[in-house]
Amino acid sequence: MTTRSPAATPAADSLEAASDAVLAQRAADGDTAAFAALVTRHGPYLRAYAIRLTGSPSDADDALQETLIAAWERLDRLENPAAVRAWLSSILTRKATDRLRARRGFDEPIGTDEGEHEPVAIEAGPDARAETGSQLDALRRALDTLPAVERQCWLLREVGDYRYDEIAEQLGVPSSTVRGALARARQTLLARMEEWR
Amino acid sequence: MTPLEPDRTPTPPAEDGDGDGIGATGYDLAALGEYLDRDCQPPIPAIDESPECQAALDRLRRVRSLSRELVDDDARQQPPLPVEWVRGLLAGLELDVRAGRDIPFGGDDPATRLSITEGAVREVVRGAGDAVPGVLVGGVTLDGDVTTPGAAIGVELRISVALVEPIPDIAEHVRARVTTALLSHTELHVTRIDVTVDDVHVVSREETAR
Repeated sequence: MTTRSPAATPAADSLEAASDAVLAQRAADGDTAAFAALVTRHGPYLRAYAIRLTGSPSDADDALQETLIAAWERLDRLENPAAVRAWLSSILTRKATDRLRARRGFDEPIGTDEGEHEPVAIEAGPDARAETGSQLDALRRALDTLPAVERQCWLLREVGDYRYDEIAEQLGVPSSTVRGALARARQTLLARMEEWR
Repeated sequence: MTPLEPDRTPTPPAEDGDGDGIGATGYDLAALGEYLDRDCQPPIPAIDESPECQAALDRLRRVRSLSRELVDDDARQQPPLPVEWVRGLLAGLELDVRAGRDIPFGGDDPATRLSITEGAVREVVRGAGDAVPGVLVGGVTLDGDVTTPGAAIGVELRISVALVEPIPDIAEHVRARVTTALLSHTELHVTRIDVTVDDVHVVSREETAR
């Protein structure tokens, strides 16, 4: 017996206000309403990160969907329910990089990034344009000029906090490629940020 | 967005064109980046004592924290996930994976033996706890061999409370409600109900109305 809409589900606003830890524990116990509250709360961040990583809203949406399905199935293995966003982000990283590897294909040489470079699809909104000249906006533009592999290595390192060998494994490239890509990304980003200061 | 501290490095570090590295230390930006990625361990005095290297490290740290802010900023500009998309996702979830063990009930005759899932029992417990004003139940654990009729079962609830009443009173209400609910919906031989207050939350509108 498993019911989808138990009569005792608390009002949506008390779930909306609940802590991540409470929601993650309830979801692990099978409460779909609590899971929905987590999805609603963290979905935009996860989607934004996936778009940055894949450069493609449709790949991002697919990765997000796969992430949430996998998360539901593994919720009982989440050790620290309060850290659910970081946990979801790590699943998402894996799903997104699965797509990147699949998209790149196996035969194509790594490091010839020109063909892979595509602008990141998030359109800077009016608010972002208004802060032109800010460091954040400069970084946004600078990141968009990076070749895809450099951008991905950068995001996995600086936002995802992965080690070089983990990045190499996730992207399916040698560690030396990751080191080189990070070095070039750092060089380019610092130089661009300097120009746009 | 956090305002950035004023720039303390008017001149960009030499980008290793001359082979001497930044501040003539022999370390270029790539090496500094890797040093930063190792949390500056083990210490390299030449880098630690070079103002130019420290300035470059500061710039690298700044662009790191900006990168994190950038994703947060992207997220703020994202519209909420479409309700239809979330609904479709939820409809596609495999509910059985969260169902847990089968708990037999309904008498001794094997021919008419029924079972409910552990997930359903947790739901009963959760609902009973949620019904107490000021309480939102987090995790529910059934401790013991629920698959054997008559086995001694402990029920553990982790709850978040709004401080509408002293915590011991709230916990007592939860125990009473859960006991009643389990008696009416299951045949479990519950020997203890442990309530752990994990968290304190702000009273929601719904709860003030009750």
